[in-house]
This record gives sequence, C-alpha cells and structure tokens, in this order.
Amino acid sequence: MSALVMVPLAPVVVALLLVLGARSRAVGLFLAPWAALPALVVASVGAVEPQRVAWLLLGTELQMDPLGRAFLLFTALVWTASGVFARSYVTEEHRRAGYFLFHCLTLAGNLTLIVAADAVTFYLGFALMTFAAYGLVVHAGSPASRRAGRVYLAMSVLAEGALIAALLLAVAAADGDAALSAMPAAIAAAPARDLIVGLLLVGFGVKAGALPLHVWLPLAHPVAPTPASAVLSGCMIKAGLLGWLRFLPLGEAALGGWGAALVATGLAASLLAALAGAAQDDAKTTLAYSSISQMGLMIVAVGIGLGAPAAAGAAVATSAAYAGHHALAKGALFLGVGVADASGGKRMRRLVLLGLSLPALALAGAPFSSGMMAKNRLKDLEAFAPAMPVPLDTLLLVAAVGTTLVLARFVVLVAVKPDPAHRRGPRVALWLPAAVLIAAGVAVGLLGAGPLGVAAAPGHPVTSSVFLASSAPIVLGLLIAWLATLARVRVRIPPGDVLVLVESEVDGWASSVAARRALGSERVDERLASRWYGIYTDEPVADPLLRWELWLTRWEMAALLLVVFTGVLYFFNSLLGAP
Amino acid sequence: MDIGYWMPLLVLLTSLTTGVMIFTLREDQVRLRTALNVTGAVVMLVLVWTIVWANARGVRFETRIGFLPGLDLVLRADYLAMLFGTLSAVLWLATTVYAVGYLEGSPHRSRFFAFFSLCVMATMGIALAGNLLTFVLFYELLTVVTFPLIMHRGTRASAAAGRVYLVYTLSGGLLVLAGAVWLHVLVGTGDFTTGGYLSASGLSRGHLVAVFALLVTGLGVKAAIVPLHGWLPAAMVAPAPVSALLHAVAVVKAGAFGIIRVVYDVFGIRTADDIGVLTPLAVAAAVTILWGSLRALLQDDLKRRLAYSTVSQLSYITLGVATFGPLSTVGGLVHLIHQGIMKVTLFFCAGLLAETLSVKRVSEMAGVGRRMPVTMVAFTTAALGMIGVPPLAGFVSKWYLGLGGIEAGDTWIVAVLVASSLLNAAYFLPIVRTAWFDEPREPWAGRPFERGAPEASWWLLAPTVLTAALAVGAGVLAAVDISPLGLALRAARGVFVQ
Repeated sequence: MSALVMVPLAPVVVALLLVLGARSRAVGLFLAPWAALPALVVASVGAVEPQRVAWLLLGTELQMDPLGRAFLLFTALVWTASGVFARSYVTEEHRRAGYFLFHCLTLAGNLTLIVAADAVTFYLGFALMTFAAYGLVVHAGSPASRRAGRVYLAMSVLAEGALIAALLLAVAAADGDAALSAMPAAIAAAPARDLIVGLLLVGFGVKAGALPLHVWLPLAHPVAPTPASAVLSGCMIKAGLLGWLRFLPLGEAALGGWGAALVATGLAASLLAALAGAAQDDAKTTLAYSSISQMGLMIVAVGIGLGAPAAAGAAVATSAAYAGHHALAKGALFLGVGVADASGGKRMRRLVLLGLSLPALALAGAPFSSGMMAKNRLKDLEAFAPAMPVPLDTLLLVAAVGTTLVLARFVVLVAVKPDPAHRRGPRVALWLPAAVLIAAGVAVGLLGAGPLGVAAAPGHPVTSSVFLASSAPIVLGLLIAWLATLARVRVRIPPGDVLVLVESEVDGWASSVAARRALGSERVDERLASRWYGIYTDEPVADPLLRWELWLTRWEMAALLLVVFTGVLYFFNSLLGAP
Repeated sequence: MDIGYWMPLLVLLTSLTTGVMIFTLREDQVRLRTALNVTGAVVMLVLVWTIVWANARGVRFETRIGFLPGLDLVLRADYLAMLFGTLSAVLWLATTVYAVGYLEGSPHRSRFFAFFSLCVMATMGIALAGNLLTFVLFYELLTVVTFPLIMHRGTRASAAAGRVYLVYTLSGGLLVLAGAVWLHVLVGTGDFTTGGYLSASGLSRGHLVAVFALLVTGLGVKAAIVPLHGWLPAAMVAPAPVSALLHAVAVVKAGAFGIIRVVYDVFGIRTADDIGVLTPLAVAAAVTILWGSLRALLQDDLKRRLAYSTVSQLSYITLGVATFGPLSTVGGLVHLIHQGIMKVTLFFCAGLLAETLSVKRVSEMAGVGRRMPVTMVAFTTAALGMIGVPPLAGFVSKWYLGLGGIEAGDTWIVAVLVASSLLNAAYFLPIVRTAWFDEPREPWAGRPFERGAPEASWWLLAPTVLTAALAVGAGVLAAVDISPLGLALRAARGVFVQ
C-alpha cells in the first residue's frame, strides 16, 4: 500500500480519536497538532506510487504529481505550524477538543483534494474542507464570527453548487472518466465548454477570493482563531487555485476571452484589495485583504495560461511557486499577530516586528526574497498576456506599491499598544511555528523555487536593474504611507466592502417580509384555511407560499391535472409522430 | 417442496402471522409483543437476505396462484423486488425497535403493532408483486392498513389527517385500478417483464398513452407528485415511527416503486420513450422537486419541514426513471434506498427530540446538539446526505442522476439538481447550525439530564444510529458490490441489456 494513504487518513483518525470518548480524546489532543506530519514527510520524500482505493465512494484514486507535491509541501508545513501554534493558543481545555476536531477535518479535506487523482475524490476533499472550516470560522462564538460564518456558508454552498454542476458536465464530457488528467482535454472539447469554464471560475473563485466573490474573506479570515486564519489564508484559499489548475483547459484550448477576463479581475483585485486593506483598523483584516490582492496576481497567471496555450506550463508553475511563497509568508504573518499580542515588553515587541518585516517584505517583492522570485516568474509571462492599455510590467509595479501600503498599515496596527500583562513574552510553542515559516520563506528567497517543489525558472540574476525594479515600489509605498500619516489621511472601508451594500438590502428585504407576516397581510382564503388549519400550518399568515399550496391541493386541481397531464402526453406523443 | 415457490409466500406470511398474533394479545403483554415484533422483523430480514443471496446464485423465486381464469396472482423476487424488499426488511427492523421504545406506556399498542406488521406485509407484497393486478391488490391493501396508523393518536387533527389521507389514496388507487383493468381487458395481464410486456402487445399509441396517464396519475398520489401531494404533510400528525415508515418505506415508496414498475416492466423504457411520455413525467418530477423544497424552506415545524423534503426527494426517483438512459436509471433506483435510510433517520431524530425535550420546531432547536449529541450527529449526517455532500449516500444518487441527465441530452436536469441541492442546504443547514453552534434559549423541558446516562432510551437511539451509519456506509462503500449502488447497478443492467 502506498504511503499516500496516510496523508488524508492521519487527520481523519485523529478526528475520530477526538470524539470517541475521554481517554481517546487525550490521545487525539496529543496527536492533533501533528496530523499533517505524514503529508509533510510524503511530500518531502517526493515520488510515491499512486494508490487506488477501489471500494471507497465511487472508486477513488490518490496520486502525487509534481503540481500536487508543490501544494502538499506548503500546505502540510503551514498546517503543522498552525497546529503547534494552536495547542498553546486555544487555552481553554474544553474548547480545545472542539477546535482540533474541526482543525483535523478541515485538514483532511485540504490534503485529500491535493492528492486526489479523480474528480469525485477532489470534490470530496473540497466539500469536507468547506463544511469543516465553518467550525473554525465560528469558533469564537461572537456576533462578528456568526455573521462571518453565515456569509461564508452561504457563499460556499453556492460555490459548491456551481462546482458540482461543472464536475458533472466535465465528467460527462469525458465519457464518464473522472480521472483528473482527463478533465482539461475533455472540457476543452466539450460542447458546453464555456458553461463549464464559467461554473469552474465561480465554483473555485469563492474559495480563492476572486473579485467579486471575495466578500466573505475579509470577514471570515480575521474572526477565526489566529492559527485558523493562518491556514485559511495560507492554504485553503489555494485550494481554489489548485482547482483551477487541475480542471481548466490550460494548454488544451486558447480561451482568449476568459483569459482576458481573469487577467483583468486579477489585476483589479490586486490593486483594489490592497487599497481596501490599507483602509482597515484591524491587523488581521489588512492581512485578509492582502491575501485577496495576492491571489489576484496568481489569478493573472492563470488567466494568461488560459488565453495562451503555449504559456500554460509556465503559468501553472508560476501559480504554484507564487502559492507556496504566499502561503509561507501569509501563514507567518497571521501567526505573527498572535505572537505580537503575547509580546508585552518593548524590546520583545521590536524583535517580533523585525521578524514579521521579513515575510512582509517578501510579499512586497523585496530583493532576494521569495516574493521577488515569484514576481519575476510572473513577469516572464508578460509576452503571452492579452493586449492591455497599460503594460503588465507597470501594473505589477503599481500592485507592489499597493502591497507595501497594506503591509505598512499592518505593521503599524501590530506595533501599537503592547499589553503589559504579557511582559513575560510568548511561549516557545507560540513563536517557533511562526519563526519556522519565516525561515522557510527566507530559504526560498535565497535558494529559488526548488524547496517549494517547483522547478526553478531559467536565469534571473539579481542585476542592478532587477534590484532597483523590486525595491523601488517598496520605497515608493513606504513614502506614500509616511506622507499619508503626516497628512492624517483617514479613509476607512468596512470589512467586506461591497458586501455591506448587498447585505443591508437583503436584511431590509427579510425584515420587511417579517413585518408583513406579522401584520398578516398575506391573506389566505378563509374557507380553505379553516379546512386545512392545523394540518398544513398553525399560522396561516406566516407562510407566503401557503396561498399557492392551498390552491394547488384543491381536489379540482388534481382532476385538472389528470386532464392536463393526459393532454400533454398526447401532445408529446403526436410530436413524435407515426402511430 | 420447491423452495423457490414457497419463499416469496413465506416472506408475506411472516409479517401476516406476526400481525395476526399481535392482534390477539392483551395490552399488558408487553414482553411477548416485543418478542413477537422483533422476531418477525429478524425472520423477515433473514428471509430477504437468503433470497438475495440465492438470487445471485441463479435460484429463481416465483409463486403463482390461480386467481381468476386468465389472471394469476404472482409473487416474484427479481432484482427490482429485492431492491425494495431489502430496504423494507432492514428499515422494518429498525422502525419496529424504535416504535417499541417510542410507544412505551401509551395505549392501544397491540392494535398499533398489528397494523404495523400488516403494513409491512402489504409493502412486501408490493415489492414482490409479479404482475400489475397483484401489485394493485397490495397497493390498495396498504392504503387500508396504514389508515389506522395515521389515526392512531385519535385526536381531532389526526382524524382530519386520516380523512385527507383516505380521500387522496383511494382516489389514486381507483385510477391505478382503472388503468390495470383497462390493460387487462385489452391485452390481458402479463407478468412484469424487463423491457415491458406491452412493448410487443401491438396496442395503439393512443391506448398506451391513456393507460400511462391513468396509472402514473394514480401512482403519483402516493409518490406525492405536485399537486397530488396534499396528504403527505397532513399525515405527519401520526406518531414518529409511523411517519418514519410512511416517508421512507411504505406508502410513498409504494407510489415511486409503482412508477418504476410501470415504466420499466409494464411499458418498457424504450416504449415509454417512443410514445413520448417520459419528458412530461420528468418535468412533473422536476416541478415537484423544486416546489417541495421551497415549501420545506418555509416550515418551522420540524416534521412538516421533513415532510415537504420528502415530497421533493421522492421525485428524484421519478426523475431518474423518467430520464432515458442507464445512468439515470441507476440514480433513480439507488435513491429509492438512499432516500429511505436518510429520511428514516431524520424522522427518528425528530421523534427523539419531541419525546425527550418536547422540541418540535426548528426555532426551538438552538443548542440541542450539546444536550443530545448522538441524535444530532445522526441528524447532521442524514441532512448533509440529503444535501448531497460526499461521501454520504445522497451524493451518489445525485451524481448518477446528474450524469444520466447529461447522457440523455437533458442538461436542464443538472440545473434542477443543483437548485434543489441549494434549497436542501437552505432548509437543512440552519437546523444543523443552530443545533450545534447556538446557545439554548431556555432550560430544556422533560426529564432533567443525568450525567453519564444516555441522552434517551437505547430503543430509540440504537435504530437511529444504525440508519445513520447505513447512510454513511451507502456512500462511503458505494463501490462495493453489495452496496445499494451495487444492487441498483445490477437492476439497471437488466433494464438496458436485452
């Protein structure tokens, strides 16, 4: 049996231990932080045999191809860091089991979708991750987390709907073959190609925080407990990206229109989200917006690959490298918020800020950082980008300025008001995971994409012009931030931005319906209502569809149905002709 | 003695005997009654499994009794019969155990369990019926023996519900009978044949369409096709085990199974496709799926929400049958079982909540997960399964139905399935969310909770856990040969390979 089975199995077993009684719960709690370790080992070792699990579901298959390995590496690493961090972070004993139950289930889903070799297994992992992550989002139990949970669940369920439709159409187009390797070609050749692509973009776009499906993300990522924020922004957001890389007909068809649309939304997200993030008052919310902005750049790579089959291979590798770099940096930053909160002393706080500036600079693309590596790869794709009024190169520079702005805002928010209650500083288990992620990010910056499991791109010596190009936006961004502080510019955007408009509409509609119900303005035929009262409903006025229901269930309707149904049958029969 | 001849008869006699013996018991003979009940259910299960086992080894089971000249009563254990029969036998055992616990100490239990057994006999008769008139016989019998179960509580509301139920089902039964007699007069009553005995009968298309309309409209009453579904939400005043049985196995499934028989074995799917009756039926099913879900969304009463959910979910079966193609057939047939085990779990849970905590409304369910974790784990499992979340049973059904729809060129079916799944999520997920993540509003009614004690009687909990586990198993192990999917694949192969 392939070691691959251990990857999703380990967190599932731990989750079972957590719920099966007091004694096994203790064992489960001990093991839970390390549930991603088998995955980390398998991904580090590299090549493993594919494994068919024929009896499971509709017959599942696991594999680890190069793309999967790249995702598995950073996913397992960030989840492990998050798990170790969480053991010290979630302090209440009775809540810890609950937290780690959802931690393990979400992890199991995340790992499953990475090692899945067929569409059904992928969907299984994706759905498990989506539903289990709800438990992480609402863990705090505050009104803010409930609201975030509601928005998260509603949007995720809609996305699941789009996704299952896309998968059904894709698998049908592949003549029932659900293997992931068959998907892109089958979709490219499918008659409903554009429908499938559209559904895939929506279905995975919610998870990936693509504009304008991103609105749940600035609500949910910050309210989740800090270790959960790290994996939400570091790993789960990448599951949407992986979905696109697995399913979209990259390299199989030139979908210029879709590609251009993706590039446009990606660039728009990278600029707008950075600005929105700079207008936040909460450190974790700025990070969430930064994630949307950074995902925008990965979406640009996907869009270029979708439009130009020749660039597809490079686009996939770029997305993977970018995803790995971002996961390490963003995971470190989120955990860093927790570390900073626990660092009361002034010197300690300065040390933490210094540490956090490394991943922050990496995100902005500073020289010798993992971010520069990722952005250089993205710039290499420029030749294949759709025609744009402003060259991609320039837009990327502007995006880097935005990134600097949002991260400068983040550092300012983290730096304020050390809590003297935490003068003794964070425990090792709290700062070490963040430090490990920072170190991994630095290593990627120095060694290239190799440690991320992505083949290095040819030739990017750090010449003076490259050095200048990657440091100029940072200097410019810091300058703008400094000027804005001096000029006391105070622009604030509510977390969730455009959601706020829609949400008030929906809430207003809901409360007006409720008010109308309370007034009893939904009148029902009295005679009918009294006949059905107590059978259909106890409150005939509280049910806007009841009038129709009562009308439908009159006996005349049944008789009418027989006649109409027979008529329709004869009509269809006559359509088919020939007696 | 020919075992192949006696076996189907033995199945019916098992529950008939159980029922008749229980009738003669005094109210206070609790142990004897329970022993009889459980023995009957276990024997039935063993018999059905024996048949399935022997069937796979080529033994044929058929009972043929002369009834009128040119008309035999036929009982036959083909694949379809065993699909439905297995479901009934397994869920009968679960429901019997549950009912024993549920009705503990309440009056008229002998009457209740006697009719309960007769109800299962009628259901088994429907499963095993080998021709249309045998089917109609048991179909009508089912109406008669379920009536006392619905009226069991004897309140005004249950009397009203019982009346509604009778009016609906008797009228529907009449149409089915009319259709069956019409056919008998024209071509005689042939045995159910895969491929349809009418396909070679030479009947004119006009006759075929008219008979199809009669049969399917009649069957549509019990299968709760909109707008013939009015009795189903009404019947939810019955005690929880009755609702469970009604919604999962007995009555509604009799209708759905009847449609399956009519399409596959009376007309034959190809003939039905040729005369163009499938598309209107599929559209009716789609409308039902959506309307049922919408209605469920607006109900606060838990059992009523589940009842409308049944209206919706049942038509998945009809939709699968009415779409031409092997994959849809598999989807429809497998949902016959999947819907049964998931819905029975949900009704068991509703009964547990009502009995233990007097919780009957969704709005009263805040925080109930912490008070009754086992119940709510079962509920959550079944609800997620209904929505179609993998790896649970409902996902397998929807996957096959969706693929089948595309295969048949009816891509709109995918849209209906997705819309329905979203609506399912909209009316199930808030329940799950409030039960697990909200704080209870006020102290729970009912007996105070003792630490270390089970949350409710094991008579009620055990069957609930069992059926929830089945809902998981049917999905997780779908690829295994003896899973519901395996059975459905075998049955569907018969339909399309001739």
